[in-house]
Amino acid sequence: MTHELRFETPTFTQRIKGMLGVDFYRLFHTPMFYIFLAIAAFIPALILGTTGMSNPDGTVSAPLYTNVWNAIAANTPLYAFEDMGGYANMNMVFIFGGIMVSIFIGHDYKSGYVKQLFTTHAKKQDYMMSKTLVCAFAMACMCVTYLLGAVVAGALVGLDFSVNFGSLLIAILSKMIMSLGWASLYTFLNVIFRRYFGVSIASSFLFGTGLPIIAIGMIVGNSAGSFLNIFLYGSSVYACLSANMVTLLVCLAVSVAWAVVYNVLGSYILSKSDVY
Amino acid sequence: MNAIEIRNLSKSFRGMYAVDHLNMTVPVGAIYGFIGENGSGKSTTEKLICGHLVPDGGDIKLFGRDYTDPGVRVRVGALIENAGCFPNSSVWDNLMMQAINLGLENRADEINRVLKIVRMEDSARISFKSCSLGMKQRIGIAMALLGDPALLILDEPINGLDTDGMRIMREILIDITQNYGCTVVISSHILGELEKIATHYGIIRGGRMIQELSAKEMESRCRVFTSLKTKDMLGAGSVLKQKFGNVREEEGYLRVYDVDDTEMLVAYLLQNGHVVSEIRKNKVGLEEYYVELMSRREAE
Repeated sequence: MTHELRFETPTFTQRIKGMLGVDFYRLFHTPMFYIFLAIAAFIPALILGTTGMSNPDGTVSAPLYTNVWNAIAANTPLYAFEDMGGYANMNMVFIFGGIMVSIFIGHDYKSGYVKQLFTTHAKKQDYMMSKTLVCAFAMACMCVTYLLGAVVAGALVGLDFSVNFGSLLIAILSKMIMSLGWASLYTFLNVIFRRYFGVSIASSFLFGTGLPIIAIGMIVGNSAGSFLNIFLYGSSVYACLSANMVTLLVCLAVSVAWAVVYNVLGSYILSKSDVY
Repeated sequence: MNAIEIRNLSKSFRGMYAVDHLNMTVPVGAIYGFIGENGSGKSTTEKLICGHLVPDGGDIKLFGRDYTDPGVRVRVGALIENAGCFPNSSVWDNLMMQAINLGLENRADEINRVLKIVRMEDSARISFKSCSLGMKQRIGIAMALLGDPALLILDEPINGLDTDGMRIMREILIDITQNYGCTVVISSHILGELEKIATHYGIIRGGRMIQELSAKEMESRCRVFTSLKTKDMLGAGSVLKQKFGNVREEEGYLRVYDVDDTEMLVAYLLQNGHVVSEIRKNKVGLEEYYVELMSRREAE
């Protein structure tokens, strides 16, 4: 075999295809992804399965939900924290998704595999884009298993299934679309805190719970909080059971806009700082 | 055209230069032995070449192109510090991920090819974490070899290997340069091993390149000496010193530098009443050359 000194510059498509290929291969070939899918299914099942159970003193606490679809989304946008029932819905996927992204990216650095990636990929945006897209896909899949877990548990417990189907579908689709924005935020946070695995997990968890937005929501109130839709948590809350096509468009615009912002910022930081 | 051309490269950490205005030239097809003590800046230079670190200043050109050019970087393979593999994944999966990353076609064939080169055809299905250190180093080489690389950067690839492991690694490196035309930059503390394969050397100290030379130049600079033994080493030593000047006692032998006429030495010592019991011709090796160079630098 003779060695030719020909250097063909790979196109953007070739580069991103290579990086995405690696990340998808890794996602499907490691147990972590399947564990998180199972966790996403287990959470609504646990909430719906245990709600309204008898207390040790014989009293029965009020059920968290009477309608199964409230495990997916609230009836109206609830930016401020009012009760656990209005908070604990499919948005929790984004909390666990953040932890998954932290582990996924953390392993790149911990194993040293990131050296292979950055040796052959001079353009840092390849890394940011690929991680964002693959983690968004993983979180969207978690939304699906969350939905399945809620439906199965709701049916077993015998909860009410009545809903405006169109709004429900839009809410679910909108939340799945929001995965892109959330994945880009977590990728960005993990790039910033790449040398500190614990900090990256903690920061992902903090943002995933939506605490900063909830705090603002508490101040301005739910009815005045629609401007919070420009944030990831705000638009995730906006995707509720009264959603319409505007909701879908808002979620799409917000998710894509933040994904672009975080990718540009993350690529810049990576290109101006040492890999490890 | 050179495989690597570095001019005025600098990198500092907390105000301390790890690489200090370094110049480096690696010809195409060379096995470049990169030598220096711990903390001299070898690994930092290699990481800079691979784009893992951002330089403070200077230029790095690979095959005449800027080192950030994706076209040239896709043909760089590296083994720096460790193989960079996922421990719970199999050897095959790790290689497959790198093959996908490089956008290779016929990935399975390519993986089998590199596994054959590193003599690990039978170990593809085991998990990376269950491999021995020598196997991990060879997997690292296999990862670096995927995709027909034009340049390999290997940081201490023979560290921790046993004698057999070192021999296998040496054969692999000679094979890939001779048969695949790779340029190899290899840093190592085991200079005896490096001497067997390197075609060029770069000696770095305090982040600066203090000498670059080819193996031929190195050979011409390495001095010959004769080592001998007599009953009265002290007396023989002073007699030899009077006539030949540069005589040292090392490891139980008298070393007479720049003299390789053994018959003349034996006759001269006999004339002065010293019987030689053992004598042989030698040449200063890379290790001694390096130690001498470093001593001279320290003295300066």
